[in-house]
Amino acid sequence: MSARLVSLLIAILVLAALPWLLPTPYWRGILVLCAMNVLLALSLNLVLGYTGQLNLGQSAFFAIGAYVSTILVKTYAWNFWLASLAAVAAAGLLGLALAAFAVRLRGHYLAIASLGFAVITYQVLVNWEKVTEGVRGIYGILPPVASTTGLFYLVAGITLVVYVLIDNLMRSPVGDTLRAIREDEVSAASLGVNGALWKAFAFGLGAAIAGLAGCFYPGFVGTLVPDAFNIIESFTMMAMVIVGGMGTMIGPVIGAIVLTFLPEVLRDFGEFRLMIYGLALTLVVLFMPGGIVQAWRTLLRSR
Amino acid sequence: MMFLKAENISKSFGGVRAVQNVSLEVPENSIFALIGPNGAGKSTLLNLLSGIYQPDAGQLTFQEKNLIGLPAHRRVRLGLARTFQKIRLFKQLTLLENVRAGFHIHQDAPFWKNLLHGNSGSFRDEAHELLEFVGLESLAGERAGALPYGKQRLLEIARALATRPRLFMLDEPAAGLNGSEVDFLLDRLIQIAGRGITLVVVEHNMDLVMNVAQRVFVMDHGEQLFEGAPREVQANPRVIEAYLGGEFQ
Amino acid sequence: MTDLLTLLVQQSVNGVYLGCLYVMVALGLTLIYGVLNQINFAHADFVTVGAFAALFTATRFGTKVLGLPDTGAYLLSMVAALGAGALLGLAINAAVFAPLRERGDELRPLIATIGVSVLLENFQLWLLGPIPYQFDSPFSLETIRIGRIFFTAQSVLVVVAAALAIVALYAFMKFTFLGKALRAVAQDRETAGLMGINPNLLIALTIVIASALAGVGGALLGPVLVLTPFAGATVIVKAFAIVIIGGFGNMQGTIIAGLLVGVIEAFTVQYLGSGLIDLVVFVLLLVMLVVRPTGLIAERKEENV
Ligand SMILES: Nc1ncnc2c1ncn2[C@@H]1O[C@H](COP(=O)(O)OP(=O)(O)OP(=O)(O)O)[C@@H](O)[C@H]1O
Ligand SMILES: [Mg+2]
Repeated sequence: MSARLVSLLIAILVLAALPWLLPTPYWRGILVLCAMNVLLALSLNLVLGYTGQLNLGQSAFFAIGAYVSTILVKTYAWNFWLASLAAVAAAGLLGLALAAFAVRLRGHYLAIASLGFAVITYQVLVNWEKVTEGVRGIYGILPPVASTTGLFYLVAGITLVVYVLIDNLMRSPVGDTLRAIREDEVSAASLGVNGALWKAFAFGLGAAIAGLAGCFYPGFVGTLVPDAFNIIESFTMMAMVIVGGMGTMIGPVIGAIVLTFLPEVLRDFGEFRLMIYGLALTLVVLFMPGGIVQAWRTLLRSR
Repeated sequence: MMFLKAENISKSFGGVRAVQNVSLEVPENSIFALIGPNGAGKSTLLNLLSGIYQPDAGQLTFQEKNLIGLPAHRRVRLGLARTFQKIRLFKQLTLLENVRAGFHIHQDAPFWKNLLHGNSGSFRDEAHELLEFVGLESLAGERAGALPYGKQRLLEIARALATRPRLFMLDEPAAGLNGSEVDFLLDRLIQIAGRGITLVVVEHNMDLVMNVAQRVFVMDHGEQLFEGAPREVQANPRVIEAYLGGEFQ
Repeated sequence: MTDLLTLLVQQSVNGVYLGCLYVMVALGLTLIYGVLNQINFAHADFVTVGAFAALFTATRFGTKVLGLPDTGAYLLSMVAALGAGALLGLAINAAVFAPLRERGDELRPLIATIGVSVLLENFQLWLLGPIPYQFDSPFSLETIRIGRIFFTAQSVLVVVAAALAIVALYAFMKFTFLGKALRAVAQDRETAGLMGINPNLLIALTIVIASALAGVGGALLGPVLVLTPFAGATVIVKAFAIVIIGGFGNMQGTIIAGLLVGVIEAFTVQYLGSGLIDLVVFVLLLVMLVVRPTGLIAERKEENV
């Protein structure tokens, strides 16, 4: 049995056991949140970590997934799965549309353009009251499965599948191509790589995955308000990716887990939650540029 | 039919006229050297040929196909490859990954196969062969950025060869190499040419230019100064005056 | 004058006033980008800190401790905001930009400053609470009337301050040795280094000047904003839009774009409602990025390969 298969089996076992190890409803809720955060971190890592595009608007695609799926279910009485499919497609296509011109923009321009996209999305959610209910919000949203444990299994299962698929992709020639673009786009072009095309591909795929995460969020909290998709959401996703170690597969997973549970463990310091995120983001960039994953590897090597 | 042909191409950066009205013809299966003093416009010309820049004016064809407007990555599919004067490797990636990335245009596995199987063995053997060819096989798993300078140049050559070019352009491949490294490089270039790949080499190393090239093209101040066989270049008073004087005494 | 014309002129005046506020903030961003090729995301929070520094100087320190009149206290508060901004600039350069410059990548410094921004905002939230502070400028109460156009003494102060800042900045760049050196560094860091210019010092100076501008911007914006720890963030997104519309690193473009955005905002408020300001500005930004990604005034630059 390959090492990969063993890790996969262990991951499945751990995921299956988790709800029984953290038996209170509160902690099971945190588990669901954590699975969603992992999915979001994976989506951003695809863009930020593997193609080096500074996307500050990932929260917008999360929002689009959440709103499209919820509105289709609540207003148009669609089946949840069909609505989710449509929501993922909507997020992915909007991501592609933004990428179509954003990929021409280098580093900082892309950062601001994606930030602009997030601001616009937020404003549309607030202002287009006929459809989104604006700041009043949408209430009484039901999750696709009733029990929290069931929801955790669902989201964690999907996250695991997404993880394995992305991992495959990154081991394939597509992964070589994306990493090449991240390292040096001019150089990649000299090898025949159409940088704009592949960056748009990664951007669109990342957006679709964020949209997928968005489908589960409203049912989990029960309500949907624009403020849940503030620009700060993009930053927390970024913190997860960076703290864990961007451009690696396992890094963002670790980052998402750590940054979901850390504030819970330090619950007395609730009001410091975002301060911790900010500080962690800065300190990791300054002193641990490869994140937890690289620090760990360095530690292992030095022993 | 001319293999690679440029007619009156020009390129300026702000006020700097880096390449002015240059015309050249590179015959197939030849080694074509491009020389000239610093700032003569050699790299800019190479960038124009490879599509990193588009010319302000002029014609450019490869095997009768128009290159004007064609971006760099599309030209690679026609068989053009290059290396860079300032080495541009994927520094964080391994040597093997660097070379594997070079096979990009030859990858034809459908997307779902990559998604479901990872497909990581694709072009593995060929990549190792190329590393072998430039003498870096034993370092295949190292990070490219950690290589010493001379080996980085060789890796860049191996990576470009992975595109399976018909025309290979090298920008100062011998710069920064020591004597034995230059000899090795020379030998490899001759072998590459022996495989039917046409070479365009920008070089300051006169040994390399005079002993290996069939044609030499001299530039100065963005303009063509002279073109001919190595011996003619050595004998040409204008070239000697403008550039070569010191090096030929 | 017809009513329509009066309205147009009145809104344009309001727009220029707003625009001047934005220019103060955006200039700093552009300045740093021009010299350093970096974005300081925490610039927004320097505006907020400037506003709070001014608030406390004007309402506590200036009036209560020093016993200054309101107007004097407000003018002093601008100096305090300038100082606060400059100090923050010094700090962020030492903590983030200087150490990360060695590694020469554009991602990490921006991410680090996002971290600083999140930290600063939530630290202020903890310190000052979420309830908006009231910060009135004594100059806002004095209304000036020309024909049928009204404006406040505050808006005159803002326009004058912005104009002074711009003139001073241009004079500095054109006539002083340091300014020339700055432009040299902006154009080509290696060559500038060869000319015997210490780029580290100049970069620090740039960031300090830019941040001081943000601080003063905060003092001037304070009375306009809903002054919470997140106040700067609402301004900075517009400042980013302005910087891009004007062409990153281009001072002239930034000034024009700033005034333009101010006027557009004034008319958006008039005709579409204030809820749509951000939407209009950012749609403009995205359109701009599609049509002219290099900004209003910019030459095409090609990477030297
Ligand atoms: N991207 C660019 N932007 C601005 N100026 C450029 C650019 N590329 C080249 N130049 C200028 O064009 C001129 C020709 O440069 P080029 O690099 O082509 O010379 P070269 O012959 O390769 O010199 P060297 O032997 O030093 O490599 C120089 O004056 C250079 O400064
Ligand atoms: Mg050159």
